[in-house]
Amino acid sequence: MPVRISDSRLSSLYATLQTNHARGGNEQIDDAKVVQLLAAVADGAGVSFDKALGQLKAPGLSRAEQVGIVQKNMSASEKKDLVQILDAGTVPMTPSARAFIEAVVGRATVSGGGSAGGTTGGGAAYGPLKISADQKNGISGTVAPGSTIEAINITTAPGGRLHMDDTMVIAKADNAGKFLGSLPDVKEGDLIRLRARDASGKPGDWVTIRATGISASDTRNAVVAMQRIGLTAGTAGKVNVENINSSRQVSEPGAKLQFTNTRTNEKKVVTLNDQGSFPEGFTLNGQAGDTFSVSATDGKNNTAFSTEAGRVSVPGSAPAGTGDLVKDPALHKDELNADGTPRFSKKTFKGPLFNNGPTFDDVKQGQIGDCYFPSAMAALAKSDPDAIQKMIKSNGDGTYTVTFKEQDYATGRFKDVAVKVDGDLYVRSYGGPLYGSSNGDTSPDRMEMWFPLIEKAYATWQGSYDTIGNGGMSSDVFEHVLGKPGRDMTVSTSSSTQDRVWSQLKKAVDNKWPVSAGTHGESQEALYTNSGVYADHSYSVLGYEERNGERYVQLRNPWGESEPSGNGANDGVFLLKMADFSKLYQTLMWAEG
Amino acid sequence: MAIPPEPLAEILPHATWVVEAEVAEVLASGPEAPKLSAPPGWTDTGQKVASQRVRLKVLRVLRGKDVQELVVDKPVAGYALRTGNKGPFLLDGSQPHPVILGRYGPDSYALAKLESALKG
Repeated sequence: MPVRISDSRLSSLYATLQTNHARGGNEQIDDAKVVQLLAAVADGAGVSFDKALGQLKAPGLSRAEQVGIVQKNMSASEKKDLVQILDAGTVPMTPSARAFIEAVVGRATVSGGGSAGGTTGGGAAYGPLKISADQKNGISGTVAPGSTIEAINITTAPGGRLHMDDTMVIAKADNAGKFLGSLPDVKEGDLIRLRARDASGKPGDWVTIRATGISASDTRNAVVAMQRIGLTAGTAGKVNVENINSSRQVSEPGAKLQFTNTRTNEKKVVTLNDQGSFPEGFTLNGQAGDTFSVSATDGKNNTAFSTEAGRVSVPGSAPAGTGDLVKDPALHKDELNADGTPRFSKKTFKGPLFNNGPTFDDVKQGQIGDCYFPSAMAALAKSDPDAIQKMIKSNGDGTYTVTFKEQDYATGRFKDVAVKVDGDLYVRSYGGPLYGSSNGDTSPDRMEMWFPLIEKAYATWQGSYDTIGNGGMSSDVFEHVLGKPGRDMTVSTSSSTQDRVWSQLKKAVDNKWPVSAGTHGESQEALYTNSGVYADHSYSVLGYEERNGERYVQLRNPWGESEPSGNGANDGVFLLKMADFSKLYQTLMWAEG
Repeated sequence: MAIPPEPLAEILPHATWVVEAEVAEVLASGPEAPKLSAPPGWTDTGQKVASQRVRLKVLRVLRGKDVQELVVDKPVAGYALRTGNKGPFLLDGSQPHPVILGRYGPDSYALAKLESALKG
């Protein structure tokens, strides 16, 4: 169930948290952030957001008094918004933050002051999930009748792109509360994380079990996601170690990883926390350029750390003058070898930033799942090329500075974020850029550079090409370029919605605001094959036409090709009847330029 | 999943057959691919759909042994096939059921682009 929030400020604040969380950030709603969200509910009736925030942050206030402040101006629709966040929200919450919101909507009573505890995960609403003794014949147990059981194998999850809550439904409890289900590829000793969800969709608390009874011995070691281990040179001979995608695991919780510095042969073992990540502040002895051999054990396998999982290096080893001018963002995980090393090399591109300014047809998406980004940049090039020219500048030393806009969570205002990059781009064996490029000449000396450099800067800012390469929304990109809130509306085939979408689209195009549109996802693919439009894809909206009483939307595929037949040259630009647009697209996105 | 199709130069060497064909029948579908979580409205999430086994009525063979019908497998991918879908299919040499190559099956490459590449 998607979260639909009617209050605009609350929606904007929550969307920011959602985006940060979805991009792999370590975002969660804690006591500080929940106060921000609730200030958006406490405002109104002559009380501004800032004033409400000040009231909620007043020193010495009890939690009960805070709840009273929020409830005073809370409308029925805002209450529904909070219930949505509690029940369908995708951003994790601390128990304290959840208890606060539950108290505001009347689900729980308040006990004590600002750090009051509360129910966690809704598990108190029904009987706890209990798992039977072993998993010889599957995963069985008892829970409240009618509940569904979700599970994920967190021993193998680090080998994929799964979060720890990317579960699959394995069973439904019968009238007696009994269930039996199975997960694929479970082996003896694997860690399985489960929870129940009641008939209303409310999830219970997590339960983690170690699979037993399947075979005589545990033969599968902890899987290590080498690509998520990030090393940076610190001070005083220390190397900082972090999970560069902290919303996903490095390995299974409780696994021990041994790091061996190949220069000094010094070894250090760390035990991963309950999120399968490094404990905060974990460091190694070493320096820039050092390489560490990593091996892991789950306590049963590889206990002597004799089998290496892979190697990881501390950036900064290149001799002066021959290496990076600026550290480059890591490749998408699909382009990394098993040991975390890149499968593609880099070349330094030195072409002009612009050939006759930025235009929409400069933009060409590369082999990365970030269609929302090139479609947004092409839309911006069409509507507001000045904004692009202002956001990127050459520093004259082989580096470039790209300036994005970021919303300050506390004030709601946008601030500049300057990101420095150099001209190094990952390339294929035959020399063309692997990721975003410009249409036309892609040779290192002549390619127009603005789009691939802005994409690279976006990857740098967000964390890596992997961070930006697993989907997103163009409205976020509009916001990050223009410093104006990105907007979106749902497209549908109903005539009233078609009229509203058409009206909004015309208004945006006429005002020279950037516009893009996203197609439906996986359940609709069979509608897309042979249509010339692709599922799960984002397109720039370049304009509209009205001819003989028929409405048309002009769109562009960010691939720079592939379009419905009958639209002239295969350049990705095409006209679609509004009726077809309404069938094939699910979201219209824009920002007021 | 809307990453562009793989460069044709990387796929064509693996194609035992290149045929212009129409899906005559969807014979079977595999298990549903795991659902990826993403906020509403996101695109390019990488969500895939189930594999399928389909019967192709071959209209023209551009590369490979002359055949009139093939039973082929569509792998787990970001597209689905239904009866009546048509276009150029690149197929590998798997037996007994060749696998459809190209990220979007018959929508991966324009026929003219394929014909030109095969001539070259």
